[in-house]
Amino acid sequence: MPWYLYLALKQLFPSGRRLPFFTLICVLSVALGVGLLVVVLSVMGGFSFELHRKMMDVTGDVQVRASDFVREPAALQAVIEKVPGVLATTPFAEGYVMIDFERRPAFPTIEGIDTTRVRRVFPIDRYLIAGSFDALDDDGVILSSQLAASLGARVGSRVEVYTPLIVEKLKADEVELPTELTVAAIFEVGHQQLDSSTVVVTLRRMQQLYGLSGEVHGINVRISPDIDADQEADRINAAIGLAQRDGRLKPAPGLAAKSWKQVNRDFLWVLQLEKNMMLFILLFVVLVAAFLTMSLLLVLVLKKTREIGLLSALGASRRQVALCFCLQGVGIGVAGTASGLALGFVFGHFRNDLVRLLTSLTGSQQLMERFYQFSQLPWHADPKDLGIVVFSALALSTLAGIIPALIAARMNPVEALRHE
Amino acid sequence: MSELLLSARALRKAYPSGDRRIEVLRGVDLDMADGESISIRGESGSGKSTLLHLLAGLDRPDSGHLAWEGSADTGASRRARFVGMVFQAFYLIPELDARQNVLMARRMLGPLDGAARERADQLLAKVGLAERSHHLPSQLSGGERQRVAVARALMNSPRVLLADEPTGNLDERTGDAVIELLLGLCADTRTGLILVTHNAGYAARASRRFLLHLGVLQG
Ligand SMILES: Nc1ncnc2c1ncn2[C@@H]1O[C@H](COP(=O)(O)OP(=O)(O)O)[C@@H](O)[C@H]1O
Ligand SMILES: [Mg+2]
Repeated sequence: MPWYLYLALKQLFPSGRRLPFFTLICVLSVALGVGLLVVVLSVMGGFSFELHRKMMDVTGDVQVRASDFVREPAALQAVIEKVPGVLATTPFAEGYVMIDFERRPAFPTIEGIDTTRVRRVFPIDRYLIAGSFDALDDDGVILSSQLAASLGARVGSRVEVYTPLIVEKLKADEVELPTELTVAAIFEVGHQQLDSSTVVVTLRRMQQLYGLSGEVHGINVRISPDIDADQEADRINAAIGLAQRDGRLKPAPGLAAKSWKQVNRDFLWVLQLEKNMMLFILLFVVLVAAFLTMSLLLVLVLKKTREIGLLSALGASRRQVALCFCLQGVGIGVAGTASGLALGFVFGHFRNDLVRLLTSLTGSQQLMERFYQFSQLPWHADPKDLGIVVFSALALSTLAGIIPALIAARMNPVEALRHE
Repeated sequence: MSELLLSARALRKAYPSGDRRIEVLRGVDLDMADGESISIRGESGSGKSTLLHLLAGLDRPDSGHLAWEGSADTGASRRARFVGMVFQAFYLIPELDARQNVLMARRMLGPLDGAARERADQLLAKVGLAERSHHLPSQLSGGERQRVAVARALMNSPRVLLADEPTGNLDERTGDAVIELLLGLCADTRTGLILVTHNAGYAARASRRFLLHLGVLQG
């Protein structure tokens, strides 16, 4: 071990003595910054991880659409299901309708699903909060929770559905009456953006409401969980292209597969932006810790002036003296980052106990569950985020050591020895 | 022809003081042979420390010439092997125990080996601190600290040892012991010694004696 590293470590962590106040303060401040970053980023990561799962539950892992309609869904499904990694497919048709319950109107999106296949792609039962999926027949409808609440509809209520087709017919002087459907179930995904007002009917009913004859808007695909959705979407696209060339599928404009990440690209981008902003803001805590380290190291350099003179007398070069102090910054960075990571993960481990303790102390348990729809704090530590945190903490601490190191290196050894 | 251990020619050093310059050294000449012991006396402020710093290569003279064994290289890495220094105020590193303070000199030369540790223990035994080698400076008395400093100065078997008032902070009896140690160890190992001291008795024990007065060495 070179002497400057040895001395740097000994000054930070002298053996057989109490940890110096200087070390304690600096390491603790870096650790608090790093710990805070780990906790905040992991909890945010946990939330977006849950959100990602919900997105996948709602759009499937991969979605295949054409620019207007998929005209031969069965043939397309056959092609997709041959792609390795594809577990199941289900067709869907979608649109907008007006829905009316006891003179209260609403304008939700409508989703037509194949009741015999949909469960293989969507864990639909997981999100039902009332009624049962098996009760959904061609005269039934499933409402999203917010929609049901705003209409005041319940399982068993009969709602009237008006479609654009009614308007079309009206132009041709024909009259078509609204369709009356019975609420079979109510679902809630648990996130504002995804829980927008939606109704779900059978595919047959949807095709009838929209005047479709066998066409659908797309196919949702479930893939094996250990493969990447983007790559699988590429594979499906290749298979579709091949099938169109050899005539198994008729050419359809814009027919293409997109992964759930591509479908939700904008929303995912916003989530990522939020997390990056948080990272950026909280890095200032580490920056402040670095400033603290720097100022205390400056004090240390002044306190150790005579020792710097002595080291020169022993044959130390200026570069080595500089390194000795710079390495103390690095040492603080390493110790602070390590204890910060430990701190963060210990918090992560006991997070639910802590939340329970806090909410029971403030008596806000139910309130929290109602507003945030969870009783457990989600946690997902992304190695890439951790890498950025570790790198920045180490880099800032090293920078904090550089200025005191330069000052130490510029000291004239003779004046240092004479220093009182 | 045998090289001189250390030779200084016409060393001059002045410090700015307001708008004047104080000429501290006005042409110091000094030749020193292998294993010789030299004492330098002088009033406080006469420039003894300044001269030692120049001889150690820690500072540059305004003019004049300095050579160690005939070579003008007095840089840091050569200093680590060539010169050992002892100061009035000991300058031990407070975080390190006695043994590690002694080894600190050796660390400047590269990684420690078993021989280095053995030598440090031998030196601590020679200065009578074998039992205290794991004590921190704060746990040692002034005389003990200075003996650790002497062991440290000798760790790399330097060719010359520069001692700047090594007894200045010690009481008489302890000072006597430290001087005995310095003279004895340097004589045993044929290490050159330049001893700066106020004490006429100590100065008299060196083989050559000088007085620094008005910026020049007087024999
Ligand atoms: N950096 C400096 N700037 C100005 N004057 C200095 C400086 N260093 C030493 N001196 C002056 O040089 C003179 C000699 O100092 P020094 O070598 O310490 O003397 P001694 O060791 O003999 O007591 C003193 O008058 C002191 O004030
Ligand atoms: Mg002096």
